[in-house]
Amino acid sequence: MKLKLKLKDKEYEVEISEKEEGVKVKVGEKEFIFEKEKKKEVSTPQLSFEKRSFSEKEIKAPIAGTVTEIFVQEGDVVKKGQKIILLSAMKMENEIISDSDGKIQKILVKKEQKVKEGEILVVLK
Amino acid sequence: MQIKKYQSASSTQELAKKEKNPKPWTIFWAKEQKVGYGRKKTAWFSPKGGLYFSIILPKSNIEDLQTLTVLAAFVTAKIIKEDFKLEPFIKLPNDVWVNGKKIAGILTENVIGKEIKLSVMGIGLNTNVEKFSKELKETATSLKIELKKAVDDEKILKKIVNGLKKQLKTISE
Repeated sequence: MKLKLKLKDKEYEVEISEKEEGVKVKVGEKEFIFEKEKKKEVSTPQLSFEKRSFSEKEIKAPIAGTVTEIFVQEGDVVKKGQKIILLSAMKMENEIISDSDGKIQKILVKKEQKVKEGEILVVLK
Repeated sequence: MQIKKYQSASSTQELAKKEKNPKPWTIFWAKEQKVGYGRKKTAWFSPKGGLYFSIILPKSNIEDLQTLTVLAAFVTAKIIKEDFKLEPFIKLPNDVWVNGKKIAGILTENVIGKEIKLSVMGIGLNTNVEKFSKELKETATSLKIELKKAVDDEKILKKIVNGLKKQLKTISE
């Protein structure tokens, strides 16, 4: 779609087209591509504040049990699927794995500690 | 039932957990384990002669898995009693004893992320182990020691797995 815009006394030729990566807006010889994700970020106020709370993830005990082993240390960089904690519960051994990539910010439990269902074990950043 | 046989393995639980495409009821069976283990990572003495296998379980809720773990001891004890006329004793939750000595152990391990990703049950049964070390002699026994004759590992394995399938079906109904 091509259009001409007149702002104050200057005329601009604007071309808008949809590309795979997003919406392309051409103004004169300059091209701007608005990716879907980027567009959302730009329009979100208080970006840094929101991002902070979203980027912290808690790994919680899925069931009540006893922490048998802790496979990580604070500061460790972990990958999605990596073993974090071994929880003995309901007569079974449960390997709690990380659901995402991240860095271990805080470990809130100790070996042999009993935990309740939903209790936070580890904070991931 | 797909059975993957190994002459030797570090642990059948580890093999099962590493399986890239874990299909329910795939069995990992090793003639011996170098680092066999039970609950809380206690070692499970696994020389040649014993029956050591791990089963990839179908996705189930955690309560059903717990029930199945206890029932696995029951299934194993039932075979020991009915097929070999011994008097087994179930040491809850997951050991089977004969004549005051441990003969079988069961361990279920779950891998949990957002949900249960994988459940593997391992069973160690002292079938044809001929003797135990000094340290274990007083606390462990085998079918061969009790019966004074060898037993068929494959037959027992299949019987246990089929028994478990039946039990899980009953639980999930």
